[in-house]
Amino acid sequence: MTEFKNTSHILKVSGIWKRYPKADTNSLSEVSFDVFRGEKLGIFGPNGAGKTTLISILSGILPQTSGEVNYFIDNESANFKKILPKIGFVPQDFALYQELTATQNLRYFGKMHGLKNPELEKKIMHLLTILGLDHVGNRKLDTFSGGMKRRINLAIGLINDPEILFLDEPTVGVDVQSKVAIMTLLNDLNAKGTTMIYTSHHLREAEDFCDRTLLLDNGRIIAEGTLNDLLKEHKAESLEDLLIHLTGKALRD
Amino acid sequence: MERFKASLLKEILLLLHDKVGLLLMYLMPMLLVFIITIVQDSAFRLVNENRLDILIVNNDKGPLGDSLVQSMKNAGSFKIDVKKGINEDQLANLTLEGSKLATLFVPSTFSQRLSSNSQRISDAMLSEFGMEAESRSNAGNKNEVRGGVQLIFDPVLQESFQVTLINNLQTMISGIESKEMIRQLFADMGYDEIPSKILKELNRTPTKIVAKPAMSGESAMIPNSTQHNVPAWSIFAMFFMVISLGSNLVKERLSGSFVRLQTIPGSFLHAMFAKIAVYSFVALTQLMIMFAIGVFVFPLIGLPKLNLPSHIFPFLLISVLSAMAAISYAAMVGTYAKTQEQANGFGAISIIIFAAIGGIWVPSFVMPDYMVVISKLSPLHWCLEGFYSLFLKDGSWNQLMGPVIYLISFTVFCQFLALWKLRRQHYI
Repeated sequence: MTEFKNTSHILKVSGIWKRYPKADTNSLSEVSFDVFRGEKLGIFGPNGAGKTTLISILSGILPQTSGEVNYFIDNESANFKKILPKIGFVPQDFALYQELTATQNLRYFGKMHGLKNPELEKKIMHLLTILGLDHVGNRKLDTFSGGMKRRINLAIGLINDPEILFLDEPTVGVDVQSKVAIMTLLNDLNAKGTTMIYTSHHLREAEDFCDRTLLLDNGRIIAEGTLNDLLKEHKAESLEDLLIHLTGKALRD
Repeated sequence: MERFKASLLKEILLLLHDKVGLLLMYLMPMLLVFIITIVQDSAFRLVNENRLDILIVNNDKGPLGDSLVQSMKNAGSFKIDVKKGINEDQLANLTLEGSKLATLFVPSTFSQRLSSNSQRISDAMLSEFGMEAESRSNAGNKNEVRGGVQLIFDPVLQESFQVTLINNLQTMISGIESKEMIRQLFADMGYDEIPSKILKELNRTPTKIVAKPAMSGESAMIPNSTQHNVPAWSIFAMFFMVISLGSNLVKERLSGSFVRLQTIPGSFLHAMFAKIAVYSFVALTQLMIMFAIGVFVFPLIGLPKLNLPSHIFPFLLISVLSAMAAISYAAMVGTYAKTQEQANGFGAISIIIFAAIGGIWVPSFVMPDYMVVISKLSPLHWCLEGFYSLFLKDGSWNQLMGPVIYLISFTVFCQFLALWKLRRQHYI
């Protein structure tokens, strides 16, 4: 685990609230935090805490009910439309076309990002190679294993060389080999400057990966800081301990 | 443009992936057009080409029963088999057990009854002229002879065929009766037979009825089962694409692909328009293939040839508008359905209802008045109206205006509702 030092903002979240239509309660309440350029921010919490809602709002998929989300380019506040092409999104679901080959999927989403050949083809080959899928690039995804699909799901999120990458459970349901390949790639990208906002239920993996941690429960931030600081503050031994300590052992819906 | 092209390619690849689905999209409408046209054409031939199979039990002791049989043979509308000496009580079983659709029973007193009627009328006429029959007195001929012709139907024979048969029979009996009456009149006036000059006049072909469709132009298209069925079932097939496109939209939404497109600025509408373009192409090729079958294949299997309209631009316009209406409806269903099952179930049932009320199965003019009004709500009705104007009438702009306005309005309405829903879901 690394201590994060950068203080240049890429994202500032100020008092956002979210209530879905017909819902009785808020999914997010008064959520405020900063994200710094090049950091790996982990958002954790029990089921229904609001993690996916928060990531969806930050990546422009959902509008917030109130509050502000400000992005920064070169320390200047940037219009969201300007920042969108610099965003990469890796959803929890396999958001891809299982009927198409790996290459066809990457080519489609690359072109939707406005990428052109020959750069796009080079980029596709590069991603397939580093994710160990270059030998199956022309196979349809419905013949892939869960781990292979998960790697393609990540590759699509990276096709536009994003400056800020949202990862919603990027390693859920994969074998250890795929998990290592995915986490290695993410660490390499972060080392090159990509900011990452990440959620996961693999808390051991998260301890090693994240620079900073945001704990959510019932739509509110209940703790924020580096993992070391939080463990010290709450006298916990691990992220799992900390979560149990702060959110209790009661089962969630 | 690159995004649109990429989306087009993606849609084509997705369609080609489901080869069975794609094949069904083309094969099913072809089967429908073939089957429905063959069945309707057979029904048409049944009454017009000597195909209504009838047994005549002719027990008549006089000559008029044979005259009736001969008249029915001459009419050319029936396939006739004649038997004699069968009891009246056996008729029902004979019809039910045999292969005939109807049995005509001519009783032994048929000639006697007709002669008796004719004699009464003849006597009345002579009496009016102040004359009296030469051969007999009036008193002995006033008793009516019992026993008329009976027609026993196979229960499967539709009412319309029954009515056709009864009307034909009535006309023939009236003809025989008139002739017999004139013969009787001459007999009463002392002639051995009807004078040849008068007989010749009586045997002259009756006044013919010339039937032809109303046309304001010079079109020579004759309404037949092909002209009705090919456009009608092509429209039905195009609208049935709601199953394919509707579930395709739901699948993409549920898989999260739409969500990913949300994070790529401006990409979603390209993807939607590409989808509509590809499916419109499929709908139009469906239409072209069905029309080509009507023109080139139907004549080879003995069905009437499809005559294409001579006005190409209105024909293309109605085809494109019909395809757009079908695709827009499918897009709307796919946008509102929450599951693929919902899209398939609602889509299929709604199209069947639209087809039923729109006159695809049964022409809307045979429906009750309130259903005729309701039929105008069905987009299939307006597509059909457009094609009917082109295929069966002269396809003038006045006739096409209604369908064109409705189909454009329907397309805009469905697209608007779909886009509104997508906007509410924050996809656009």
